[in-house]
Amino acid sequence: MTDVVSAAERVKPQGGWTAIRTQGLSKRYGPVDALKNLDLEVSEGEVVGYLGPNGAGKTTTIRLLLGLARPTAGRAEIFGIDCQRQPVEAHRRVAYVPGEASLWPSLTGAETLHLLGRVHGRVDPVYRDELIERFDFDSSKKVRAYSKGNRQKLILIAGLMTRADLLLLDEPTVGLDPLMEQAFRHCIHEARERGQTVFLSSHILSEIEALCDRVGILREGALVEMGTMAELRHLSALTVEATFDGSVPDLTGVEGVSSIETVGRVVRCQVRGSVEPLLQALAVSGVHKLLSHEPSLEELFLAHYGQRAETEGATADAG
Amino acid sequence: MPADPAVSAPAPAGRSPSTVMARLTAKKAVRSGALWGCFFGICVASSALTYLSSYKTPAAREKLVASFGSNTALASLFGPAHQLQTVAGFTAYKVLGFLSIVGAVWGLLAGTRLLRGEEDAGRWELLLAGQTTRRRAAAQALAGLSAGVAALFAVTALVTVVTGRSSKVHFAVGEALFFALALVCSAAVFLAVGALASQLAATRRQAAAYAGYAFGACYALRMVADSGVGLDWLRWATPFGWVELLQPLTASDWLPLLPAAALVVALAGATVYLAGTRDLGASTFPDQSNAPLRPRLLNGALGLAARLMRPTVVAWGAALAATAFMFGFIAKPAGAALSGSNSINRVLSHLGAHGAGAKAYLGVAFLMMSIMLGFIGAGQVTATRAEEAEGRLDHLLVRPLSRRSWLGGRVLEATAVLVISGLGVGAFTWLGGASGHAGLPFSSVVEAGLNMVPPALFVLGVGALVIGVWPRATSIVIYGLIVWSILVTLVGGFSNNNHWLLDTSLFHQMAPAPASAPNWTAGGVMIAIGAAAAMVGGAAFRHRDLVGE
Repeated sequence: MTDVVSAAERVKPQGGWTAIRTQGLSKRYGPVDALKNLDLEVSEGEVVGYLGPNGAGKTTTIRLLLGLARPTAGRAEIFGIDCQRQPVEAHRRVAYVPGEASLWPSLTGAETLHLLGRVHGRVDPVYRDELIERFDFDSSKKVRAYSKGNRQKLILIAGLMTRADLLLLDEPTVGLDPLMEQAFRHCIHEARERGQTVFLSSHILSEIEALCDRVGILREGALVEMGTMAELRHLSALTVEATFDGSVPDLTGVEGVSSIETVGRVVRCQVRGSVEPLLQALAVSGVHKLLSHEPSLEELFLAHYGQRAETEGATADAG
Repeated sequence: MPADPAVSAPAPAGRSPSTVMARLTAKKAVRSGALWGCFFGICVASSALTYLSSYKTPAAREKLVASFGSNTALASLFGPAHQLQTVAGFTAYKVLGFLSIVGAVWGLLAGTRLLRGEEDAGRWELLLAGQTTRRRAAAQALAGLSAGVAALFAVTALVTVVTGRSSKVHFAVGEALFFALALVCSAAVFLAVGALASQLAATRRQAAAYAGYAFGACYALRMVADSGVGLDWLRWATPFGWVELLQPLTASDWLPLLPAAALVVALAGATVYLAGTRDLGASTFPDQSNAPLRPRLLNGALGLAARLMRPTVVAWGAALAATAFMFGFIAKPAGAALSGSNSINRVLSHLGAHGAGAKAYLGVAFLMMSIMLGFIGAGQVTATRAEEAEGRLDHLLVRPLSRRSWLGGRVLEATAVLVISGLGVGAFTWLGGASGHAGLPFSSVVEAGLNMVPPALFVLGVGALVIGVWPRATSIVIYGLIVWSILVTLVGGFSNNNHWLLDTSLFHQMAPAPASAPNWTAGGVMIAIGAAAAMVGGAAFRHRDLVGE
């Protein structure tokens, strides 16, 4: 018996839909595990960032959600609709913006927007015209005459103009200048206000930090971290920078302190857990200035990959 | 102690960076040239061996000469015949005209693919950032392309020389080499035509169209020159005429190589010059980069496909219509020339035609046009696959459009194109026949046009199957199927080959209408197999990943 249910039969659950749900989603390309056992939930109206280095599995995840690739194991749903069994139903509620646009070179920008709007079946023409103006886009040119940035604008407009319930964005601002990137951020804020769900895969950490409610970090096909910025910061180290009047104390061995760097009379270190042991050590050494800040997303991200590099380095040394 | 990688000087990577474009182009051109060289070689060898087995006695050979030697109708189709009483003369007659066309098509497609196609794909931008200029890059690409022609020549020459060593065939080494040179002459010329068109046009497709126009004009000139109306001198005005005038294996005249070589040099020079006068990615001819919104047909995937295929279909349609009209127009005198010759009728019956007169002639003519229709079907298949391979299909399938609708729609649309083309061929042949007072019945000629459709539909169905199960092999499988069928049909036309082998040719399966009644049963079987293959392909396509090039 099949559990395929038509859109009309589906009833919105209390507390809203889960926009994206994956269970044990996996994809293997030959000997390579591109995605390993991904369990992910994104609620309706959330803006979720998806981080990872090249080859971590970000695009694979999105292609599996879109049904462009078949999972090796597991399943994925968009608003309760099975992405593999009912892709057409799922796609009615989705807009996708890839990071690289291969379009029909003989069509103009306006013709491409017309075509993609008709295929999607849902377009807000007033908003489309507003986006064209906001992104300063000349839609009368043929696609082959556009620069990379203009082609990216074109597919961004094509995705956003549908006002779809879920925006799947795979490095959408590649090739955009800073002004256009600001315009993009504005659009995502608007989308959030309208209650649209956004799943944003990006390398631009400041973009993710500015836009996203939650962040997932992928490493080698596995989701290694998922949470709000506050949750991720809580799990991570605090950066402390102390400047001394006199001699610099040796902080090695102080509980919770790591990554100590000394430059002249300035010491920079990371603190995990309570800061009290560090404060006690500093109190006896004549601190002139003390600065501390929570880790940025960049630091969190690098910390994750730094750990891996350290582990690999240790393994290599042991070898 | 190892050097600090942070301060070590960059080391030369491989061979000279200033020849990288020549090497990259040569790598692709040589592979393709060598493959087609195998095909050329097989054609030469099979023709020579077929002659030996089919015309064993001097009497049989004299009959052949009497029938074909001065037949202008057949000369307009296959080119003039010289010394048909010898293996050499027959082999040259059999393959020279046909392989000149194949070589020219290969040349123009390879030239536009490896110049404009690479530029369209953005790969030239990366390479031009290196130690070269636009002109040097164009010159290097031409050098790479000439390596492709050299490979085509080398393989063709090797097989021809080896075939000629047989005591019964007996081609002198020099003659064999000259024959191979004649066979690749049109390829070299049209490679240069494609290279020049790549400088003039804004896209690869446009460049191929420009080169195609040049090809059509040259071929039409050759047909007029060979039509026996006193315009023989026109042979000097077309590369296909030069190839004929070389008369390889019979008279071996070197003089016509001069205009061919001069034209190649001139076209190559113009290519290099124009490459330096335009921006990378731009065209020499003004390109209309802005256009008003023309939303007609852009209401869905099917409309998009119709719009994208329109220029190609119109070009092929015009070529088919013109060819069909011309065949109809000369059907009466050509049919009269064929009548009364037992040996010609025997050869034609091997090619698939029966009966006599205009209808027998058109039986062969429709066979040739069915090959063109097969290529139209193959073109539709590869265009369909290209949408997926180049990533454009993603933009459609991430919207509410099912894979079944998309692929099914493309197949149905291509089916409509093929059926209309078949009907059009029938109608234009009848029109040509009416103009030439051939007295062809409209219904039988239109039936003959429809009779050409099943092999093309079979190609389409198999194409859909390959797209579903082995997408990256689509081009090679589909064009391989057609080339194999042509080869088997050609060989079969002049010999009593094993019928199992002949049955592997698509074109051998169709009845030689209008020389005989269409075999709708065989056509129906081909359509049914094609449809089944398309359905299996569609099912496989729904359950696989989308894959790029």
